Amino acid sequence: MSTIAPQFRLSRFIASLFDIIFWVLLIFSLVGLPLVFIVLFYIKMPVVNGQMLTPYLAMTWMADPSRTLPIIKSFMHTTLFHVLAFPGFGFAALLSAATIYVERKFLAKIQLRVGPLYCGRIEGILQLMGDGLKLISKEIIIPAKADKPIFWVGPLLFVGTAGAFVSLIPVTGGWVVANPAVGLLAVFATIGFFPIISVLTAWAANNKWTFIGGLRALHQMIAFEIPLILSLLPIVILTGTLNLSQIAESQQHYWWIIFAPISAIVFFICILAELERIPFDLPEAESEIVAGWLTEFSGMMYGLIQLGTYLKLYAFAGLFTVLFLGGWNGPSVWPAFPADIITNGITIGPITAKIAGLPLFDQAMLNGILWFVIKTVGVILLILLPRGVFPRIRIDMLLHTGWYKLIGLAFINIFIALGLLYAGVLGPGGLIQ
Amino acid sequence: MVDAVFLALSVLTIGSAIVALEIRSLIYGSIALMLTLSGVAGFFLLLDAPFVAMFQLSVYVGSIAVLILFTVMLVRRELIFNKIEDKRRRYAGIGLMLALMLGIGMIIIGSGMKSMETNSPSVDYRKIGEDFLTYYSPALVVMALVLAASVVGALTLARREDITNDQRAD
Repeated sequence: MSTIAPQFRLSRFIASLFDIIFWVLLIFSLVGLPLVFIVLFYIKMPVVNGQMLTPYLAMTWMADPSRTLPIIKSFMHTTLFHVLAFPGFGFAALLSAATIYVERKFLAKIQLRVGPLYCGRIEGILQLMGDGLKLISKEIIIPAKADKPIFWVGPLLFVGTAGAFVSLIPVTGGWVVANPAVGLLAVFATIGFFPIISVLTAWAANNKWTFIGGLRALHQMIAFEIPLILSLLPIVILTGTLNLSQIAESQQHYWWIIFAPISAIVFFICILAELERIPFDLPEAESEIVAGWLTEFSGMMYGLIQLGTYLKLYAFAGLFTVLFLGGWNGPSVWPAFPADIITNGITIGPITAKIAGLPLFDQAMLNGILWFVIKTVGVILLILLPRGVFPRIRIDMLLHTGWYKLIGLAFINIFIALGLLYAGVLGPGGLIQ
Repeated sequence: MVDAVFLALSVLTIGSAIVALEIRSLIYGSIALMLTLSGVAGFFLLLDAPFVAMFQLSVYVGSIAVLILFTVMLVRRELIFNKIEDKRRRYAGIGLMLALMLGIGMIIIGSGMKSMETNSPSVDYRKIGEDFLTYYSPALVVMALVLAASVVGALTLARREDITNDQRAD
C-alpha cells in the first residue's frame, strides 16, 4: 500500500497511459502534421539524390537506420545546431549548470560542510533542477515605482549579451558559432555591454541598494576593462592575428602562458573582477547592500541573470583556455573508432548490421573537445576557488588595483613580447614557429 | 538582403537619433543614443569594415555612452541643462538639417563616389596597421602626442590637492 497514492489502481494507471497516447497521436495528426505542412510550404526544401526532401521522405529515411546517421551528420553542420546545441548555447548552459552544482559542493568541501545532500539521493545531484523549478514557479514582482520597460528587458539583454560572448569562443577546430577575423575585438565589444546593462537595470529598479550596486558594478567593470585589453595585447603581438581560432591553432607546440605569464595573471584577476566574484564582489556585497544591483529581481528574472552570469563565467574561462592554455591542443588520447565496424558492420549472433556514415564524430574533434573541456573546467575551478578563501576588498583598493597596478603589470609583458618579437625568437618568421 | 538590412539600419539609426534629441527622459535619450551608435557600427559591418565596427561598438557604445549615462545619473539635471525651447527654433533646426543633408547629398551624388564596388573583400586590419607605421607615421605620432597630452590634462584636472588622502591605510 503506497502512502503517496492510497487509491492507486494499476489498471487505471495503464488506462490513463493509453488515454494520453491516444490524445497525443490524435492531436499530432490533426493539428501537428497540417501545421508542419503549412510551414514546409513556405520553406525551400533541399533536393537529395535527385529527390525533393518532403516530410514523408525524411521520416522514411529516419526510420531506416542506414540513413539516419548521414542525416544527423548533415544536421550537425547547420547553423541552427551550432547555435542551439554544440559549440553554442546548449553546451555552454550544460557546463554552466554543472558549474553551479560544483561550486556549491566545492565551497562546502573547503569549509568542511556537506553542501546540497538530499535532493536526488547521490550527493544532492538534482539540487540544481530543484532550484530551477523553484525559480520558475516563483512570482515575478515588479517594484511599483520601477521603470518597467528597462526593468523587464534588462535580464533578457544580460543573457543575450552573455550568449553573444559564448558564440565567439571556439571549442575545437572549426567548431565555433561565429568566427570573425576580428574575434578578439568582438570580445571586447561584447563585454563592453555588461556595465551598461547592469547600471541601467540598477537605475530602473528605483531602489537605493540596486543603484549603489549598479554604480559599483560600473566603476569596477570600467576600471578592469583596460588592463583586460592590455593583458591580451602580447598574444596579439606574438600571433599577429585577432582571430581566436587562429590564436588557438598557433599554440600547437607551446602555450602562450609560458611567454606571457604576467599577462595571464593580470587577465585572470580581471576575469574575477568582470565576473563580480569574491574578492571583487562589491556590486552584490550581500552584507552591505542586500544583493547589490540584483536586489529587486525575483523569480525567473533573477534566474535569467544567474544563467547569464554563469554563461559569462564559462565564456571567460574558455577565452583564457584559448588564449593562454593552448585551446584544444593536447596529446591525442581519444581512441580511434574501430575500423572493422565501419568495414564489416556489427555482428550480433546471426545478424550483421552495416551502418552507413559511422564514425559520427571524428577522432580529432573528440580529442579537441576533451582537452578544451578539461582545461576550461580547470580554469573554472580556479575562478571558483577564491570564493572559499578570500574576504572582500574595499572599493578604493579595488579601483587602485585596476587603474594602477594591473595596467603597469600588463605593460611589462607587452614589452617582453615586443622584445621577443624584435629579437626574432617568436612571432611571424621567428626562430620557434 | 543587404538592401533590407541597410534600410532597417537606416530606420534604426535615424529614428533613434531623433528619439535621442526629442525624448524628455534623459536616460531613455542616452539609450537611444547607444542605439544610434550601434546602428553606425552596423553600417561599418555592411561596408566590410569589421575592424572599425568593433571599435565603434567598444569605444562609442562601451565607453562614451557609459560616460554620458554616468553624467546623467550623477549630476542633477538642472545643473547641466537649461531649457530654451520655442517652436521657431525647432523648425529652424529641422530646416537647417534638411538643407545641410540635401547639400551634402547633392555633392556626393554629383561626385564620383556613387559608383562603388559591392563585391570587394573586407579590409585587412594588418594593412591598416602597416599603413599607419609607414606612410601615415607622422599622423600616428601626432595622434599619440595629442592622446598623451589629453591623458596628462585629464590627470591634472582630476587631481585635487585640497583633499588629503587619510582614508587609505595601505
